[in-house]
Amino acid sequence: MFGKILIANRGEIAVRVIKACREMGIGSVAVYSEADAAGLHVRLADEAVPVGPPPAAESYLDMDRILEAAKATGAEAIHPGYGFLSENAAFARLCEDRGIVFIGPNSGALELVGDKVRARQTMEKAGIPTVPGMKSCSASAEEFRAAARSLGYPVMVKASAGGGGKGMRVVADDDGLGPALEAGRREAGSAFGDDSVYLEKCIEEPRHVEFQVLADNQGRTVHLFERECSIQRRHQKVLEETPSPALDPELRARRGETAVRAMRAAGYNNAGTVEFLLDRDRRFYFLEVNARLQVEHPVTELTTGVDLVRQQILIASGADLSIRQENLLQRGHAVECRIYAEDPKMSFLPSAGRIVHLREPKGPWIRFDSGIYEGLEVPVYYDPILAKLIVWAEDREAACRRMSAALDDCVILGIHTTAGFLKDVVNHPEFRAGRATTSFIGKFFSSWGTGEGEDERQRLALAAAAFDGLTRTTRAAGLPVRGGKREIETPWTTLGGWRAGGER
Amino acid sequence: MSVAAFDFLLDGEPRKISVEMRDGTLVVREGSRVLEAEVKRISGNELQFRFGGRSVRIYLARAGERTYVAVDGREFVVSESRPDTSRPGEGDEKSGETNLRVRSPMPGKVTKIAVAEGEEVRKNQTLVIVEAMKMENEIKTSIDGVVKKVHVAVGDRVDSERPLVEVEKKIESPRRAEP
Repeated sequence: MFGKILIANRGEIAVRVIKACREMGIGSVAVYSEADAAGLHVRLADEAVPVGPPPAAESYLDMDRILEAAKATGAEAIHPGYGFLSENAAFARLCEDRGIVFIGPNSGALELVGDKVRARQTMEKAGIPTVPGMKSCSASAEEFRAAARSLGYPVMVKASAGGGGKGMRVVADDDGLGPALEAGRREAGSAFGDDSVYLEKCIEEPRHVEFQVLADNQGRTVHLFERECSIQRRHQKVLEETPSPALDPELRARRGETAVRAMRAAGYNNAGTVEFLLDRDRRFYFLEVNARLQVEHPVTELTTGVDLVRQQILIASGADLSIRQENLLQRGHAVECRIYAEDPKMSFLPSAGRIVHLREPKGPWIRFDSGIYEGLEVPVYYDPILAKLIVWAEDREAACRRMSAALDDCVILGIHTTAGFLKDVVNHPEFRAGRATTSFIGKFFSSWGTGEGEDERQRLALAAAAFDGLTRTTRAAGLPVRGGKREIETPWTTLGGWRAGGER
Repeated sequence: MSVAAFDFLLDGEPRKISVEMRDGTLVVREGSRVLEAEVKRISGNELQFRFGGRSVRIYLARAGERTYVAVDGREFVVSESRPDTSRPGEGDEKSGETNLRVRSPMPGKVTKIAVAEGEEVRKNQTLVIVEAMKMENEIKTSIDGVVKKVHVAVGDRVDSERPLVEVEKKIESPRRAEP
């Protein structure tokens, strides 16, 4: 087993890996950009190494600096988390060349599945159905147009190196194609350093169902069932759950086997996810392989009881997979909400600033994977994910109720977050009925924030601010503080200048 | 008299309320609307309001001039009114009724200028694209008008203070005078 692991990431996922290292008795090394010197991962790791200025390209994506940090600290392995270098085959190869273990798939498999176009070809050869699309990225404007017409609008612009919705655009007609290609290339270029895009037929109102796979270096491969990830905004998942309300045991078993076959075809090892689209007629299409630990991995952990990060580390150290397919069970239901630093009232614009108050939800079967703390200044340079709230319960209805209550308990003040919005999603009848597809948010939440009860909420906010102002002012004015501790104030003890019942 | 008056800004909008404690009940008046609630402080950041048979938890925290308040999952920023139009993040400033200064709601980098000076624009048309947190954000005009000035160039780093684009409101036929 490794003595020390470097975590080439930040935020909640770096924290997650650091905690796994601690449990396994492995030393942890954090890396951080200048914008993250106060980051939670820096505070929690055994060691922390600065790797450059705030822009990711000059820090978290700088392979040489990351490898230097590993060498300088004596780390034997690198966990890339998700995003950043996690699916970068060149980085995996560099690690292999320098004798550092990359905790993820081998560079050959990574290269194959990372190239969305090649991955599709491999799957087709293995007899796995794929979404109809272009076979190559190098096309002229005319070729793109011809391809779009032969696929039939609507089509989807996708980044060849894609993931996380970056570079993706839906195009309805010829007129929209040019601007969508341009925007997709620009976004792909800045997110992945590779601006090649291609077109796929847009499957309308699909569900997004993915299967978690673990494969050891000796080729033993198992799947850990599915995750339903249909609740998306701008092609970014906002809420995930397992089991999927759309699968029955027979379909689940069949598609799980398909996922295992897909990973074997790709020569894949370590943890990975096979994403499928499920259309209205319950037909599955291979979408892509996510060659990394997924943001939403905790819902699988809670329902299977398998610690995926620990398994990743064990597999990377060369250990045989100790889990057998026949011993894996899905138990109960788990839901995850991604808490983003975005303002749902202002069309989800990113929100940065200082967290002036944080109240973490707690309770039985409530898990809060977080990269934040009270007082932290949330930087603007990176993905806006702050934390993930994950709950487990015996069944879906109980899990939704638990999530709704836990979201009430999740308070982050100082910046805007998506917590309140997520509560409305969880309580929406269409979601509760298990009918939500990827068009759910666009259909039911095109605007949010000024709904029912807004007048009352505003007045309560004003009343609370006034009450707070009054009760604090009197305290500041030197009224006696009772008990010497942090006192529980009531208007009866602190509204000094006020006369109770004065207007009689 | 134990009535306190507040001139607040709620998310940038002026709101005047008065509050008073009466028989242990907080009475809040805004114009003709009245809210009466029993208020209990649970902690420095948590209040419990009870009214109409309901109990509502309100979370709040102060930072400088601002009080951040969360009610039922919605966040509000409340500050004492000192009309200060350059408060960041609270939207666009309308100068002299006719012009709109469009700002970026968050710090980021300009990746595209979608309009030219002198160009006529329609409400909700994209003016500038600002990349922040790795996503492209289309900054739009909230009025019909003509682009008077573009203050930024592609590649510029912008914050929420500096105007990106100024849009001059289209002068329509003069409004009918009130009788």
